[in-house]
Amino acid sequence: MTVHVRTLDELLHAPLEADSELTTQEYLVNMGPQHPIAHGSLRVVVRLDGETVKEVIPVPGYVHRGVEKMCEHLNYRQVIPYTDRLDYLSAIMNNWAVAKTVETAAGIETSDRIEVIRTIMAELQRLQSHALWWGVTGMDLGAYTAFLYGFREREIIGEIFEETIGARLTMNYIQPGGLMYDIKPDFAAKVKKLLPYLQDCVEQYETLLSGNVIFQERLRNVGIVDGARAVALGCTGPVVRASGVPLDLRATEPYGAYGKVQFNVVVGSIGDCWDRYYVRLEEMRESIRIIQQLIDGIPEGPYSTIRYNVELTLPEGIHYGQVETARGAFGVLIASDGKQEIPYRLHFRSPNFNNLWVVTAISPGWRIADFISIQSSLDLVIPDIDR
Amino acid sequence: MIHAIKVAQEERLFAGKSVSVAVITRGRPPGYLRVAFSAVAGLLRGLWLTLGYFWSPEAIVTRQYPENRATLQLTERFRGNLRFKFPNEKAQEDHAAFIEQLAHETQTHAHVAADLVREENETRWYHNCTGCGKCQEACPNASIKVFTRQGEILEDREVDRFVWRLDSCMFCNACVQACPWDAIEMTGGFENAVYDRRLLVYNLNRLAGPRINYIEEEENPEVRKRMVERRDRYGGQVPLNGFALPNLPPVPMPADSDSRAVDTDAQARLT
Repeated sequence: MTVHVRTLDELLHAPLEADSELTTQEYLVNMGPQHPIAHGSLRVVVRLDGETVKEVIPVPGYVHRGVEKMCEHLNYRQVIPYTDRLDYLSAIMNNWAVAKTVETAAGIETSDRIEVIRTIMAELQRLQSHALWWGVTGMDLGAYTAFLYGFREREIIGEIFEETIGARLTMNYIQPGGLMYDIKPDFAAKVKKLLPYLQDCVEQYETLLSGNVIFQERLRNVGIVDGARAVALGCTGPVVRASGVPLDLRATEPYGAYGKVQFNVVVGSIGDCWDRYYVRLEEMRESIRIIQQLIDGIPEGPYSTIRYNVELTLPEGIHYGQVETARGAFGVLIASDGKQEIPYRLHFRSPNFNNLWVVTAISPGWRIADFISIQSSLDLVIPDIDR
Repeated sequence: MIHAIKVAQEERLFAGKSVSVAVITRGRPPGYLRVAFSAVAGLLRGLWLTLGYFWSPEAIVTRQYPENRATLQLTERFRGNLRFKFPNEKAQEDHAAFIEQLAHETQTHAHVAADLVREENETRWYHNCTGCGKCQEACPNASIKVFTRQGEILEDREVDRFVWRLDSCMFCNACVQACPWDAIEMTGGFENAVYDRRLLVYNLNRLAGPRINYIEEEENPEVRKRMVERRDRYGGQVPLNGFALPNLPPVPMPADSDSRAVDTDAQARLT
């Protein structure tokens, strides 16, 4: 089977024909790379007939840094800070993906304590990421207040990260064989105090935004993508779960301490923007539930099972590992030649890249204002797309 | 809530595994009047929540930087600028007390007073670094370059200049973790804006010489003095070496240029 891939040039020079009854003309409009709705430098060329979107052509690559190529010259510990800079809102989960792959391939054992702390940190980060997403979605759809509320929770969780890790955004916390630092003695107490507050916050989100009729009208039944299509497009995370597919790596192939805790995989029923919105809100509640179950019994032990300066050489072959980040499955594929400390080839399977192409499939036919809702509900982080 | 949202828990078979899922379903769409009523109610609820902040402004969590610069306390593990650890605490404290005294005498701030001192007090800058270069190997983007030299007294390699590139550093903490001697730390400063990027590449060590314990093993103060050599912030293999910055005061070295002999001219100008 051959597939003809149309280039950007071909797409842009296709004949412009309007099919409405009025004498109108089609227009190609650039949204981005610098545009308030583009969360980062994503350029989207939109073919418009009046206000109706006819075609969406994403043009990624404005934040391309060649991270995978750079990683071919770095050892496995040095790769980890670079993963912070992909999906910066799920930095800890990205770190975990590399650490997990290296540990599995090199046969490094970790302790219960390490896995529990990793899980708590990852869930805190998921809460933080979803809080930010909630605020930004509100801002995209005209509710600026929501943005400030979303950042309020981000700030509070960020303070916990700063105390434990020393950074707020680019953490570099989870490392092969353990963690960068041990948690502080008062970490558990602080997180425990925070959980009821976060529960209240999710209720506030419902009050502020979910109950707003304008907001609901802009999300309900807009941009429907059914389960089969979402799977065909390679979507993961809340996007595919909103379409009713319970694909969550935390439940289907448990890693860390996820095998020990009770939680639900939240799925939607239709697959519209509202489902994608509500799946994330419910996921915040589930994250709080997971932390509640783990925070009381953090086992004792060391925070790293190997020394920092030890040589990490993976056996020859191809190693793959993946974790569930706040946006979907983040995978790391390492090809090792078995001799060097650095990967021979490395590839990141980033969730946002696949989630991005949903807009091309579901946007045509909707108004340009609905396109904003659709793009916002996908929760894209651009550096993760471009890498 | 205009549309009733139900979250129902059930077990589903997925990928050959039983997964417990929470399904989000929607109720029947309500009638027009009900939508209108609950729309107004929803908006008012949202407004009421926001209005609450007028009564309880203490609930605001935003940090008031830069207004709080004087009282800003960063956490102990905060990953800021890389710096050397100077373990000779007594000399450090002596110096701080001296500067404070000087500031009191000249009625200026401490950092102005620190600029007045010109002569050396080298013991304050004894360090833990052996120049082994583990940090340089660990750095993912080559932000560290350790220059070593052949020691005169001890026949061993020792650190000459420890050059750190702040402009390319990504504060990943790898160097601090890799250091076997606990010589460097990432903490403190984060206000790094300058007008010339050459100012962002500088030496971290103030003395070229062996590790502190080798110096302290030596009894003779004259030999001790010969073991070390003063290194300034912008000397040696850094872009700013030998250059003067146009339209800017001389290269600022506030806290680093220390000594006990006070620049009397500058002091006279101040008082």
